[in-house]
Amino acid sequence: MSEEEKPKSPAEANGPEGAAEASERSAESAVEALSTEAAPASGPAAAPEAAPEAPVRRKETDEEKAARRKAALEAREAAKAAAAQAAAKPAPAAGGDAPAADAPPPPPPSPNQPRLDRAVQLLRERVAEDAVLEASINEPNGHLPTIVVKPERWYACAQLFRTHPELGINYLRNVAGVDHETHMEVVYHLLSMDSGHVYAVKVRTDRERPSVPSVTPIWPTANWNEREIYDLLGIDFPGHPDLRRIMMPDDWVGHPLRKDYAPLDPEV
Amino acid sequence: MKGTGMLKGLGVTLKTMGSKKVTLKYPDVPIEMPDRFRGIQYFEPDKCIVCNQCARICPTECITLTGKPNPDPEKKGKVIDTFDINFEICILCDLCTEVCPTEAIVMTNNFELAAYSRDDLFKDRDWLYGNNTNVRQDNNNIGAPQRGGAK
Amino acid sequence: MIRTEELLLNVGPQHPSTHGVFRIIVKLDGEIITEATPVMGYLHRGTEKLAENLNYTQIIPYTDRMDYVSAMTNNYVLVHAVEKMMGLEVPERAEFLRLIVMELQRVASHLVWWGTYLLDIGALSPFLYAFNDRERILQLFNELCGARLTYNYMRVGGVKWDAPEGWIDKVKDFVRSMYGRLEEYDDLVSGNEIFLSRIKGIGAYDAETAIAYGLSGANLRSTGVKWDLRKNEPYSLYDRFEFDVPVGQNGDCYDRYLVRMAEIRQSLRILEQALEQFPEGGETMGKVPRVIRPPAGEIYVRIESPRGEIGCYIVSKGKAEPYRLKFRRPSFVNLQILPKLLVGESMTNLVTILGGIDIVLGEVDC
Repeated sequence: MSEEEKPKSPAEANGPEGAAEASERSAESAVEALSTEAAPASGPAAAPEAAPEAPVRRKETDEEKAARRKAALEAREAAKAAAAQAAAKPAPAAGGDAPAADAPPPPPPSPNQPRLDRAVQLLRERVAEDAVLEASINEPNGHLPTIVVKPERWYACAQLFRTHPELGINYLRNVAGVDHETHMEVVYHLLSMDSGHVYAVKVRTDRERPSVPSVTPIWPTANWNEREIYDLLGIDFPGHPDLRRIMMPDDWVGHPLRKDYAPLDPEV
Repeated sequence: MKGTGMLKGLGVTLKTMGSKKVTLKYPDVPIEMPDRFRGIQYFEPDKCIVCNQCARICPTECITLTGKPNPDPEKKGKVIDTFDINFEICILCDLCTEVCPTEAIVMTNNFELAAYSRDDLFKDRDWLYGNNTNVRQDNNNIGAPQRGGAK
Repeated sequence: MIRTEELLLNVGPQHPSTHGVFRIIVKLDGEIITEATPVMGYLHRGTEKLAENLNYTQIIPYTDRMDYVSAMTNNYVLVHAVEKMMGLEVPERAEFLRLIVMELQRVASHLVWWGTYLLDIGALSPFLYAFNDRERILQLFNELCGARLTYNYMRVGGVKWDAPEGWIDKVKDFVRSMYGRLEEYDDLVSGNEIFLSRIKGIGAYDAETAIAYGLSGANLRSTGVKWDLRKNEPYSLYDRFEFDVPVGQNGDCYDRYLVRMAEIRQSLRILEQALEQFPEGGETMGKVPRVIRPPAGEIYVRIESPRGEIGCYIVSKGKAEPYRLKFRRPSFVNLQILPKLLVGESMTNLVTILGGIDIVLGEVDC
């Protein structure tokens, strides 16, 4: 699940955690990343509290986290809908028109936002209008631009990534398959060696008959990676030159890394 | 001149032939392990408070233990009844000693555990209590009280 | 009439030179290889599946066993990923200890590679020389964290053990003496005519192919591509130290050999600087919450292990266990080029090429 641009709540809205300046901050800010508009339950009323001792603060963190996560879930749905429409536009830099007590001001735009927009724009122009489903920046991961692409368009998108001079992705770092219970996903991490730019592309497919076009003709690195994903998760890769099991024995039944995998023979 | 490379290499070999030997005469001479070496565990039943942290943190789930209520009616808390470590799957990772709040289980510097049958590798509480040579002194249990490693 | 036919040879899973349980099915025409099919999975232990039921501290011993020759870098990649996801800060002393340990591990791993590579080629004594030096490194690790191969040393937020008394001085002594040993190794092997004729020109590929196949580490640098994650995407404290990135030219086994030997020298250089700048006091563990629960999201980190780029991809749903943990293993990706390199080669060069790629089967199979 990629992170949207999250507002960095100002210190006041954090309550007791924002009061001190210890390295707790970095732990908090990652959790902050989940909540968007929702101010924590304690809110500014707790701001004037003096910083409590370390163990007490940690216990509050857990409770805060739970409350914040719930609020974050609702806020994230709303933000996702808004961001999907405005994927090409950067978030407003300033403009906390709401008072600090109600909603924290929106975050500064990520430094990679222009690059993400350009990539999305190129994909939309050169491949298809509906190729890109979502585009976001994964902030904890060094502001990694993350793009979700439709499986039917993935091969053309990959070709664009490879050949377009601005993107110039010549190195496929990692191909990973993930089994979310409702769908399956293949995540590609791309690198352009000349410019050092990284992108992450996700392709979602359904669980019944998962299938993602293979990019082995474009980046030969994907060959064994896709075989491993086929072996362990069961995602089919049409276009792959030699799709067969690589880790498990050739006559194995089932795909072990799936969440609902039950071994045929529990003793093995 | 062809062949100089091999002559240089031969020079190194001859030089090493005359230098001190670095091999140890194990198993005739036992090896001295540094104090922090993670060997087989040593268990003291009196110190154990049956908190179950070691069983929970074990990555391979090789510790099984049961407790019984304290036979002394005055005191509260449990007392350890059985404590087994399955050394077929114990990887001597030291996480159990890290989280034990009372240092009831510590590592020793013994590592020789070879047996002729697999059943001999299932060590019970008395054997672990008897394994009290070379007990490790430096037990940095950073996992106890601040971090429980709860699942 | 002489009839020739193709021979199917099984370089079987039990083989002293395949660096583990690894099988290559080779089709031979006389002595020339026409096709090679690697078969792996004999050491697949399901680390990624097991990790879905363990919390992060429990996964650390499992990472040790993936690339068992270079366990510290595996520890680091997992711990770094979790710390980055949670935004934790690691104290400086702990970071220094991690860096020193990782560079020592790099030297040890390259020594194993050197010794076993020469053993495969046929030189029997460098193997013992290399393992003698490696033994000194393992003794240092034994004193530090209590194990010689599977360290379980790093924790999320720091390291478990602090350096004991006098350990830093011992490492300094080791580094000093290792420079002299490297000279000896060069004298012993690098000029040897038999060695050179067996290594030069074998298994060559160019930079385009290397990048297309996703190679990393010395395999990539031997073709002339100057790409080292310690310099290009710095992590830990590597941007504080001065070191070069050795690069080859031809992309053959000889260049890989030279690049790796030069890398040992550069690691010693980094170690010297790190030991000098080692902080006097400091914590070994940062402020870490009681239960390590990264926020929901995902992350991909990568570091430079002795074999190449090792990456860790974690998808977390906010629980104490990862939802999906995937390791991008360098040996697995580097091995893809093997079938391509072997076609047309003589059978005698199979072991040379395979050894030059430097694989560890624990990593290939995970």
